[in-house]
Amino acid sequence: MSASRGRQLRALVRKDLQLEARTRETVTAMALFALVAMVVFQFAVGQRSDDATGVAGGIIWATIALAAVLGVGRTWVPEREQRVLHGVLVAPVPRLVMLIARVIVLWLFLLAIEVLIVPLGVVFFVHDASPEGLALVAGLCAVANLAIAVPGALLASMSVFSRARELVIPVLLLPALVPVVIAAAGGTHAVLGPEVQMAEFLGYCRFLAVCAAVFCLVAYATFDHVLDD
Amino acid sequence: MSLTTDTTRPAAPRHILALGVLSAVLMGLAVVGALGIAPEDADQGVVQRIFYFHVAVAIASMVAFGVGCVAGIVFLRRGTTLWDDIGVSSVEVGLVYSVLTIITGSIWAKGAWGVWWRWDDVRLVSFLLIILLYAAYFVLRGSAEPDRQARFGAVYAVFAFAAVPLSFYSVRIAQSFIHPVVFTSKGANMPGSMLVWFVVSLAGFLCLFATLVAVEVQQRRAQRALERLKRRFDHVH
Repeated sequence: MSASRGRQLRALVRKDLQLEARTRETVTAMALFALVAMVVFQFAVGQRSDDATGVAGGIIWATIALAAVLGVGRTWVPEREQRVLHGVLVAPVPRLVMLIARVIVLWLFLLAIEVLIVPLGVVFFVHDASPEGLALVAGLCAVANLAIAVPGALLASMSVFSRARELVIPVLLLPALVPVVIAAAGGTHAVLGPEVQMAEFLGYCRFLAVCAAVFCLVAYATFDHVLDD
Repeated sequence: MSLTTDTTRPAAPRHILALGVLSAVLMGLAVVGALGIAPEDADQGVVQRIFYFHVAVAIASMVAFGVGCVAGIVFLRRGTTLWDDIGVSSVEVGLVYSVLTIITGSIWAKGAWGVWWRWDDVRLVSFLLIILLYAAYFVLRGSAEPDRQARFGAVYAVFAFAAVPLSFYSVRIAQSFIHPVVFTSKGANMPGSMLVWFVVSLAGFLCLFATLVAVEVQQRRAQRALERLKRRFDHVH
């Protein structure tokens, strides 16, 4: 990526982060929603014992996936509300740079809620989690976030030109996130259980990396056509 | 000027007629062969006969989604309406075939296991995910602005087809593997006397897919011609 492309990317990421820092709308809503969803899941699962390690990974990642839908739904919303969407689209910035900027911002938003949700999930559901296991889950989050952020950014860009955008996003994104949730929950379970199962964990991480790579390739190949205006 | 009404129905294009006849013959042969001629499976009994349709329609649905993906790629490169018509028709037929896969699989599960649905059946769960994935295609197309419907449909067809193997694999790593395996990496896990009727059934479903796509493409073309005529009529009057 050339120096000017790098500058454009930094400017776009800074714009979105500054907007979020001023309004604190998206991340706050995502974090609160994730917290509420986690509590609801706990009661819905119906497990009342102290140690719910067996379902902890599933609850944490189902919660993060639902919160991601909320964050993805907010993508492009400030531009639309301030009526500057067409201004952004006619700016001499390659579409690919716009996509990468959206992916980075979504990745950071997800990381921000995981800093809250994952430790809380461990406190709520897991007995005697090892620091090593928690560090491995942090690594897993980094890969899983990419596998969520890329399809999120691609599908959000299509939904912005659709009627009933808020309804379209969950219908489009959640089926695509099922493989990511399955692998991330499996990986979390592998290291938060009574013993760290490293081989199993690495297998799940590899699958998440494949998911992220496939979504990146599809987004790279098609994104120019999404914002072809 | 006298206005006359032509009540004769226009003849279907020859290729659609030929495909329709071939589909009817193959499907008829498949029904007779699978239910009457093929030997009964020693382990599973009569319920195994549904596999001639269940596996064939599952493979045909994947072919349909593959055609939808290729049509999407060609549409994005060339922008011709024909490829959009082929893409949307293929996804439509693929979705119907996937629903049939679930229904036939569920009937088999009831016969073999005594329950209509098991979450540890890898293929049933995978096809459920695929149905959800492709149902969203029509939600997106229906909700997109009219001049973007074809483009977004093409992009989503490529995206969804790329997500299909991920869905299959993720369910496989999440579940135990108890579904009988008809096809392995070493080939078909059935004797020749069964395989021949399976191949006839598969050919029938693929031919039916081609017929339905051809009919749908023709119908969409006729719809556009009708709309053009209406616009011209409104313009004149």
